Amino acid sequence: MDFSHTPEQARLRQEIVAFARASLNANMIERDRGQVFSRELWKACAGLGLAGLPAPPEFGGAGLDPLTCAIALDAFGYGCADHGLVFSLSAHVMSCVVPIAKFGSDAQKHKYLPGLCDGTWIGVHAMTEAGSGSDPFSMRSQAVRDGAGWRINGTKTFISNAPEADVIIVFALTDPEARFHGGVTAFLLDRGTRGLKAGRNIEKMGLRTAPLSEVTFDDVWASDEAVLGGLGGGAFVFAHSMDWERICLFAAHVGQMERLMEQSIAYARTREAAGKPIGKHQAISHKVADMKIRLEAARLLTYRSASRLEVSRGVSLDAAVTKVFVSEALVQTALDTVQIFGGYGYTTEYEVERALRDALGATIYSGTSEVQRNIIANWLGL
Amino acid sequence: MDEIESEIKSYILESFLPNVNPEELTAATPLIAGGILDSVATIRLVTFLDERFGIEIQAHEVNAENLDSLTSIAALVRRKRTS
Repeated sequence: MDFSHTPEQARLRQEIVAFARASLNANMIERDRGQVFSRELWKACAGLGLAGLPAPPEFGGAGLDPLTCAIALDAFGYGCADHGLVFSLSAHVMSCVVPIAKFGSDAQKHKYLPGLCDGTWIGVHAMTEAGSGSDPFSMRSQAVRDGAGWRINGTKTFISNAPEADVIIVFALTDPEARFHGGVTAFLLDRGTRGLKAGRNIEKMGLRTAPLSEVTFDDVWASDEAVLGGLGGGAFVFAHSMDWERICLFAAHVGQMERLMEQSIAYARTREAAGKPIGKHQAISHKVADMKIRLEAARLLTYRSASRLEVSRGVSLDAAVTKVFVSEALVQTALDTVQIFGGYGYTTEYEVERALRDALGATIYSGTSEVQRNIIANWLGL
Repeated sequence: MDEIESEIKSYILESFLPNVNPEELTAATPLIAGGILDSVATIRLVTFLDERFGIEIQAHEVNAENLDSLTSIAALVRRKRTS
């Protein structure tokens, strides 16, 4: 497989990197400390097409194939030092835009996609509950028939973008006995729906500019028109989103790894110890060489998996392999960057400690490394 | 058991029941209720059915009514191929 960029993909990458560097990276230390999420920056990203990368152009999207989406997000992660913004926007695309584009009725696509793509609306999906993180289908949230619609009750937690959400895809049991096998339904809800409430922003170690909160559903009424992917289709709607997320959101982490490697090289060339640049000491140069090995392997894996999103439905194995490898590679690269920077790396001023804090969540969100290894083993017949 | 059902049976035996006597997997063996098809196994099976038989099983069709036995799975495949 040849993943050399086409001239269009190369231009897209250049454009995104230049935009991110010029428009998104100011005052990051303060924004991180204050947990500042910016709708203005979100809108600017949407202006470049980032909020609707794979959505069809007739609904306001950029209409990009999955591989080009991955290339775009790789560039976004490389250029943008605000990893929280990168995470929030990628989550919006993978968890809300992708499933609506794939499973939405014409009416749902017309209603939601243009606003989600142009940056007017922020989208989320709400699956995780306090007692069901790694086992999402043991959820307790339920939707019960009520006339021509449904009454939804439950509480979701750790919902990315929830404090800012305009559109929420919530997963609830419509047949508690069936659960994964036809018992879960996805509903599309609008901000302001009676009984729907996002909680306070949850403070985090990293990705602090990415909003996160609980969402409660207190007798929320939804019509049959709000059902996404058919009654009982929620499990496969969720699985489809997760395949995209575990590949394309993690493409942004590939870009982050490249930036950290370049920062490490620049520092190792100028910082001296024992009369020569630290990069001339094998202890440091081998760390950087390992960064390069991880980067190349991660990029190849991510692009191959992204290319398979277009041709096969059975990409869960590829997605799990990609997710584990890229997230663990990112954490190691961030740790090594801090180590190479030494005492300076431990300070806030040099901004690599923030990259490490941001990286640590990657082995947890979108399914922990442990869960991904379970999935991989299961696909291998174990 | 027709050709479609036989192929599905072979796939399930090979993928999820490697040490089981093929005669123990009957047309009516409950695959979901019996714990053979968990979530990942179901995704693998649906992927196999889509690719092998050139169909696209919809999200809302992934349920016990369609997937709980060899008989019901084969019926789903036949319906999808003729629709």
